[in-house]
Amino acid sequence: MRALFFIALNGFRESRRNRVTVVVGLFALLLVFFTTFSFELAVNTLDRAMTSVGIGFISLISEVLAIFLACGMLPREVERRTVFLVVSKPVSRTIFLVGRYLGNLATVLFVFSLMTGLFFLQFVVLRGTVTQAHLVALVGIVAEVVLLSAVGLLFSSFSSQFISVTTTVGLFFVGHMASDLYRLASASKAPAVKVVGLALYYLLPNLERLDFKLRATHSLPTPPGELGAALAYSGLYATLLVAVAAWIFERRDFR
Amino acid sequence: MTTDFAIETRGLSKHYRVGRRAIIALEGLTLSVARGEVFGLLGPNGAGKSTTIKLLLDLIKPTAGEALVFGRSPRDSEGRRTIGFLPENPAPYEYLTGEEFLSLAARLSGLSAAESKTRVGELLVRVGMAKASNIIIRRYSKGMVQRIALAWALVGKPSLLILDEPTSGLDVLGRQLVRELILEERQRGTTILFCSHIIPDVERLCDRVALLVGGKLIKQGQVSELLVSEGALMEATVESITLEALKALGLEARAAGSRVVVCFDPAKTQEVLTQMMGAGARVCELTPARYSLEQLFVDAVTHTGVEERP
Repeated sequence: MRALFFIALNGFRESRRNRVTVVVGLFALLLVFFTTFSFELAVNTLDRAMTSVGIGFISLISEVLAIFLACGMLPREVERRTVFLVVSKPVSRTIFLVGRYLGNLATVLFVFSLMTGLFFLQFVVLRGTVTQAHLVALVGIVAEVVLLSAVGLLFSSFSSQFISVTTTVGLFFVGHMASDLYRLASASKAPAVKVVGLALYYLLPNLERLDFKLRATHSLPTPPGELGAALAYSGLYATLLVAVAAWIFERRDFR
Repeated sequence: MTTDFAIETRGLSKHYRVGRRAIIALEGLTLSVARGEVFGLLGPNGAGKSTTIKLLLDLIKPTAGEALVFGRSPRDSEGRRTIGFLPENPAPYEYLTGEEFLSLAARLSGLSAAESKTRVGELLVRVGMAKASNIIIRRYSKGMVQRIALAWALVGKPSLLILDEPTSGLDVLGRQLVRELILEERQRGTTILFCSHIIPDVERLCDRVALLVGGKLIKQGQVSELLVSEGALMEATVESITLEALKALGLEARAAGSRVVVCFDPAKTQEVLTQMMGAGARVCELTPARYSLEQLFVDAVTHTGVEERP
């Protein structure tokens, strides 16, 4: 467990010193800062607009950063052969992989916390009302980041950065269109389309289950059971993906 | 599990497939390295030296055969607690300082925070990197990277040190430092598997060597035995005769300034001298010449007829 901690800490340190991460972090803060101050609307509309744009940006930046880190760090380490040094120590490949995953998550959550803090600060200054719906939406973003990072990690455990990014971004969009996929498959009269469509719906990550942003915009509450189910879904799905990634990574040749 | 051997391989093979082409990186390697021995792996590019090392560290999986390190499978990550590894062209974490990099190695090797601090301090001095310890590795020269990576290998006080081209990229002083470190480790009882293109280093440092060509083991044994088995040579430096005239006598000769050097079997000394003097040569010097490891290497590669692989 000590090794896991040091690898995760090292991953966090790497991201913190990576110019791209720093630029993305600063850009994210500027974006949140300027968008929430750029509205001149009535008080009731202001709350809604700020929530929609502010949380929207927090979500977008967090997800982009999660994909960038999950798909970029591991292939880079394998290509540069830095991995040779680490796995020659008494560290299993699974520990190394999970450590990298946790390091990536720590980085995204760090930037996410800064953006969220800034968002709430401005919200309170402008006399907006923080509701349960805001918090649920933010928890949903974290759950999505956890899942997306695991998807990216799975692909980067056996393929290049380019392939990992392309596939993960593809799954991101498919995951946000899960209900459309379900409707399309259910309505189809062709049995093959129906079977494949439904299989994809159940197999691929359903990111719509973790998306509570629209409810935050309209201050609609989410039942605790629904949130709990969404979190369990994200946690279990991510655990499964990381386990598969570790299984592949353990068997991989580092030439 | 206790064993007299630090490394044992039995029929170890690794085959790759690149597209439709099958590549035999290593074929049926059987060798053993005793505890405390300095063992050299020699061979041209693509001979299978790095493949052997990667198999011993579980960086790649064998196609056939098995490898054991101190009696344990390389897949056992705990077994790597006893191993220090310096890869060829090491790529350390560039965003860390030298000190942070070594601290990470120490903590991954299981050292406590206090032990780590002491050990890292010692090693930074030992590899001559104390002054650069707070500079990020991205700014290091190739030689500095090699030194800090060598310290990474040594940090856990390993019982087996695997060094792949350890003097690559180092200047004369750096190479001397590496040789000293290897000798120090040998005195400490560390087993060293040493892989290098620099044959004089191998000849000077290794107790035994294995010569790999085209993924196959061609020769192995003690350096002195291998050289003796190839036979001694006698060298005569002569003048007052041309290179062509000597070659016409069926002798192996090469020009050396205004003189000519002739090599022959010591058993035929009397016969060759009589033959040369009869042709008008004046013998200036007669010395026994040792068959070098380099010559052994070149001969083995030439006789095998295997081309270098990238």
